Amino acid sequence: MKRILAAGIIAGGIAAAVGWIVAAPDPLPASALGAHAANVENGKRLYTAAGCLSCHLPAKDDTEADVSLPSGGRALKTPAGVFYPPNITPDATGIGGWTGIQFVNAVKGGISPQNTHYLPAFPYTSYARMTNSDVLDIKAYMDTLKPVQASNRQPDLPLGLPAETVMRRGLGIWKIAAGFGPVEFARDASRDEVWNRGAYLVRGPGHCGECHTPRNWAMALDASRWLAGGPHPEGAGKVPSLRNLKARKRFKDAKDLATALEFGETLGYDKMSSGGMAAVQTNMSKLPAEDRLAIATYLMSLE
Amino acid sequence: MYSRLVSSSRTAVIGLTAVMALSTTAFAGPIDDRQAAMKNVGKAMGALAAIAKKEAPFDAGVVNSNATALADNVKAAKDHFPEGSATGDKETWAKAEIWQNKADFDAKADKAVEAAMAMAAVTAEADFGAALGALGNACKACHTDYRRPKQ
Ligand code: HEC
Ligand code: HEC
Ligand code: HEC
Repeated sequence: MKRILAAGIIAGGIAAAVGWIVAAPDPLPASALGAHAANVENGKRLYTAAGCLSCHLPAKDDTEADVSLPSGGRALKTPAGVFYPPNITPDATGIGGWTGIQFVNAVKGGISPQNTHYLPAFPYTSYARMTNSDVLDIKAYMDTLKPVQASNRQPDLPLGLPAETVMRRGLGIWKIAAGFGPVEFARDASRDEVWNRGAYLVRGPGHCGECHTPRNWAMALDASRWLAGGPHPEGAGKVPSLRNLKARKRFKDAKDLATALEFGETLGYDKMSSGGMAAVQTNMSKLPAEDRLAIATYLMSLE
Repeated sequence: MYSRLVSSSRTAVIGLTAVMALSTTAFAGPIDDRQAAMKNVGKAMGALAAIAKKEAPFDAGVVNSNATALADNVKAAKDHFPEGSATGDKETWAKAEIWQNKADFDAKADKAVEAAMAMAAVTAEADFGAALGALGNACKACHTDYRRPKQ
């Protein structure tokens, strides 16, 4: 009996150790990045499409803070607890001094410079589809922003800090279960440039699927129901489907949808503001018209 | 006698209609009432948006009547968010935050009414676009914070 128990403890210990090792982050080495000539303008465009500022805003009650800078601290409610997206301005209290590879590993792999896993509330699962070059351009643009000194706030988790350590490690298992890997966007050669640009923006930086695609048992996006709509990730209401938009008479054509993305409710499009869509639509309005039309062209093609 | 009968039945009919009108407002409940008002707001907004999208010609009369109806209906909707109506016998998309920040919610409603009145005063097509932008932003500001997505 004792031996069985001992064996059980040893087996359990081994399983836990294996799990702990398997769950360890596996960042890319610096050599994975080739030479890069930064394009700040392109970085700004993708930073806007990706909505980086929308999540990394200062706290609501911080009336002194400049809301045009991603100094972080605004509460983000998730089923796991309340998170406060950190300061990502180029200050020492933010991401000042980060190397290119540290930034790429964070944004595309969800791995911190301290080699821990980030929570998927930071939508790196979508950003993983971006090219390294675009991600480095985002960093180049962010490096031009005014540095803000702002300390980061710990998440409010039901079980506190120990729970956070275990949870972060456990995210390694989640990444495996969810089939997550930094797989870049692949063009569809049977489609034209406009469609491919739209597909890239929607699937990668735009992270539209994070809200518009329902999740499976592993809390990963259910690819078979891509953009088919479902419960809101923050648990309030339902996110509409982005499929069959034409057949369902939501939009007449790609031009109509591009107009909706540009003006939203100011032109009477009635489902463009609740549940986080307002910030997305505001970001869309700041993109070049060709990007909005590309996104609309891709979405209208989904049946 | 006959005429008295007619007139009394007429009074009865009038009385009955009044009672029916009363009972519909009394029994509909705040959720129904505000949703009906918001639907009218949406309809009026649709007519104004059609002008902006050049699907309908600019007509100051049409602008005025829709903007006035819109203002009236936002005012009406504002009165149907009593304490305790975050849930009810009917599904509602109003967020509980409304009653945590009622003053801000009411201010946002007032802002929409103000923007609608400014729209009602528009007589030149050149002023229409800016007025619509202000009005639409007033809807967006409130729905962003206080409405859950429906589907
Ligand atoms: C949907 C909300 C959301 C969006 C959009 C978002 N982030 Fe974040 N981000 C977060 C959260 C939450 C964290 C903290 C994750 C954690 O603690 O594990 C985070 C963390 C980070 C970090 C790590 C900072 C540190 O100090 O460790 C970086 C860098 C970052 N985000 C950059 C970006 C960039 C660049 C973009 C746009 C391309 C972006 N984020 C868009 C929510 C978001
Ligand atoms: C934070 C979650 C979230 C993200 C991210 C998001 N959406 Fe949405 N979207 C919503 C919600 C919620 C609604 C419904 C809003 C309402 O009812 O007012 C919506 C509505 C829409 C609609 C209107 C659909 C209709 O039937 O009228 C379109 C189009 C749309 N989103 C496109 C996009 C695109 C394109 C992206 C990516 C660039 C995106 N969304 C990203 C949550 C999101
Ligand atoms: C002060 C806040 C506020 C303002 C301003 C506002 N709304 Fe609303 N609206 C709401 C709320 C809350 C709901 C959800 C009501 C419910 O379900 O009980 C709603 C619902 C709606 C609906 C859905 C009605 C239904 O049940 O089908 C439409 C359409 C709508 N609003 C249009 C508009 C338009 C257009 C404007 C601007 C001209 C506007 N609203 C301004 C708060 C507001």
